[in-house]
Amino acid sequence: MIKKILLKYRAQKAKEPIISSVIKESGLMLNILYAQFSLDGGEILISVDAPTPEVNKLIESFKRRGVEVTEITKAIQLHHEICFDCGACVSLCPTAALHVEHDKSIDLDEEKCIYCELCVPSCPVRALKLSKF
Amino acid sequence: METKVNRSLAEINEKIRRGDAVVVTAEEMVDIVREKGEVKAAQEIDIVTTGTFGAMCSSGAWLNFGHSDPPIKMQRVWLNDVEAYTGVAAVDAYIGATQLSEKDGFEYGGGHVIEDLVNGKEIHVRATAYGTDCYPRKEIDINVTKHDINQAVLCNPRNAYQRYVAATNSRNDTIYTYMGILLPDYGNVTCSGSGSLSPLHNDPNYETIGIGTRIFLGGTQGYIFWEGTQHAPTKAMGNIMTIGNLKNMDTRYLRGATMQKYGTTLYLGLGIPIPILNERVAKTTGISDDDIKTNLTDYGIPRRDRPILKEVSYAELKYGKIDINGRDVPVSSLSSLKRARGVANELKRWIEEGKFFLSQNVQRLPTDQVFKPMKQLAAVPFARDVMTRNVITAGPDDSIVYAARLFADKGFDHLPIVDESSKLVGIVTSWDLAVAIGTGKEKLSDVQTKKVVTAREDEPVDAVARRLEKYKISGLPVVDSKGELKGILTSDDITRLLGKVRR
Ligand code: SF4
Ligand code: SF4
Repeated sequence: MIKKILLKYRAQKAKEPIISSVIKESGLMLNILYAQFSLDGGEILISVDAPTPEVNKLIESFKRRGVEVTEITKAIQLHHEICFDCGACVSLCPTAALHVEHDKSIDLDEEKCIYCELCVPSCPVRALKLSKF
Repeated sequence: METKVNRSLAEINEKIRRGDAVVVTAEEMVDIVREKGEVKAAQEIDIVTTGTFGAMCSSGAWLNFGHSDPPIKMQRVWLNDVEAYTGVAAVDAYIGATQLSEKDGFEYGGGHVIEDLVNGKEIHVRATAYGTDCYPRKEIDINVTKHDINQAVLCNPRNAYQRYVAATNSRNDTIYTYMGILLPDYGNVTCSGSGSLSPLHNDPNYETIGIGTRIFLGGTQGYIFWEGTQHAPTKAMGNIMTIGNLKNMDTRYLRGATMQKYGTTLYLGLGIPIPILNERVAKTTGISDDDIKTNLTDYGIPRRDRPILKEVSYAELKYGKIDINGRDVPVSSLSSLKRARGVANELKRWIEEGKFFLSQNVQRLPTDQVFKPMKQLAAVPFARDVMTRNVITAGPDDSIVYAARLFADKGFDHLPIVDESSKLVGIVTSWDLAVAIGTGKEKLSDVQTKKVVTAREDEPVDAVARRLEKYKISGLPVVDSKGELKGILTSDDITRLLGKVRR
């Protein structure tokens, strides 16, 4: 199962090779979806495809290194049977997760989504739904 | 003017009957005219199909419920808690697309009722009446579907605008409009309309489109029965009144919708076949997205004549990025180009399969009409007419103690903070001071609110009143276009003014 995990850490930690050491320790493949750094620290969104016990171990090793870990428990879904491909949502999406395909249909690239939820109210037929799990 | 190609509608219909009419969509026609020229294109092509699929607020349906026993003269009627207009005969009602549900507000409205009717769903009908000798009944409470009622006729006073303006927002807050959600500081652009597929843009001289023209409407055949309200052909803003049998429509081409914090509407698919009578018509159907221009307009200024930032083409809009002050701003279309193509292709298929014949219009639509603004009696007051001009201000480096003394001496509660060039940089309220005291902060810059809700000098007072309400604040600074502080306007000022005018 693919899980998404948000990592937050303070600026001092930025110099430590946290991600690579965690990858080495866990032996899991991590995919970095989005990263942002500022004076206060950093935020990285990763996805990992592994059984739950292994994911839990991974979370533990991040925590041991002083990283704040939040498991993402929501998802944005684009319900294609409701959507009529207008594109009203596209310009509100900060990461271009929502985009126009070649044939002018609209699609959502889940990988790029940062769950800001800006798109949800923009859809005139409520085809974008937030689900929590 | 003499033309080289002359084809009659009767000839075209005969070809449709034989199954050999040559039909292309308006998008396909662009390249044909570009490559072959309009004369050759006119010789080869019989019909061009157009299409659009977008929010058409000016839509609604006439319904007739039949008579109850004993009969009722409906005075008020609600369909799934959305009120319909009944100021006509006993059991006729008009359900308008933008009327909101009394229970669900923005999430359900007339547009959704119409979609539910088309889908064959049960609609809850509640009616009240005062009772007469001939119509004694005073209440109705029933469920009906489209199969239970007599007529259900989609009848729209204004559809298929030739083009729409594109919208953006200069203000520093998000606004919710009929052009969708507009992000602050020119954060996005929204637009509508299908460009080269636009029905009226393919015959802007109304040479073939007129009263009685048979069209594609919501997935079935409908008609144009008049020019639309606000028809303004001289400004490339023509539009049409349309009518069609709702019972035969299809929800692939008709959907109830909500514009966030604005209201409900109806998305509708509409297409017009253009008979290529001569090369003049062929030429106008060859119009491309590059040729169709519209104005990028600042919806941050809530005036009838909103400021225009620049002219943009539909080609740029469809590309998805517009340059504003050197920045690439993402564009959202509110109408669906994919469905507009679907309409043009479906209409093409109907004609090719001999299911749709072109009609001779009985009267042309006006080509010289202008759209007049509303007649208003009094000039609207602007922020600059009402604001207090002599405003006491402080600088960001002034002390909190100094401000506290000002508040105590003068008895006001908004202190604008300005820099050396009198540009507004923040605001401090008595509440901010109360919070600051005891925190050890000294300078006003430590406690001021930097993101200030402001009004512009030339904004109508109504717009300012709406902002005060939206942010639940009692006053705001008034600035000029350079951000310099010019005055302060409070809800008391506005109440006083309205009291004077409405007395
Ligand atoms: S939640 Fe945010 S990032 Fe994800 S699709 Fe919607 S607007 Fe884009
Ligand atoms: S706004 Fe809604 S209907 Fe329009 S493209 Fe996005 S998801 Fe689809």
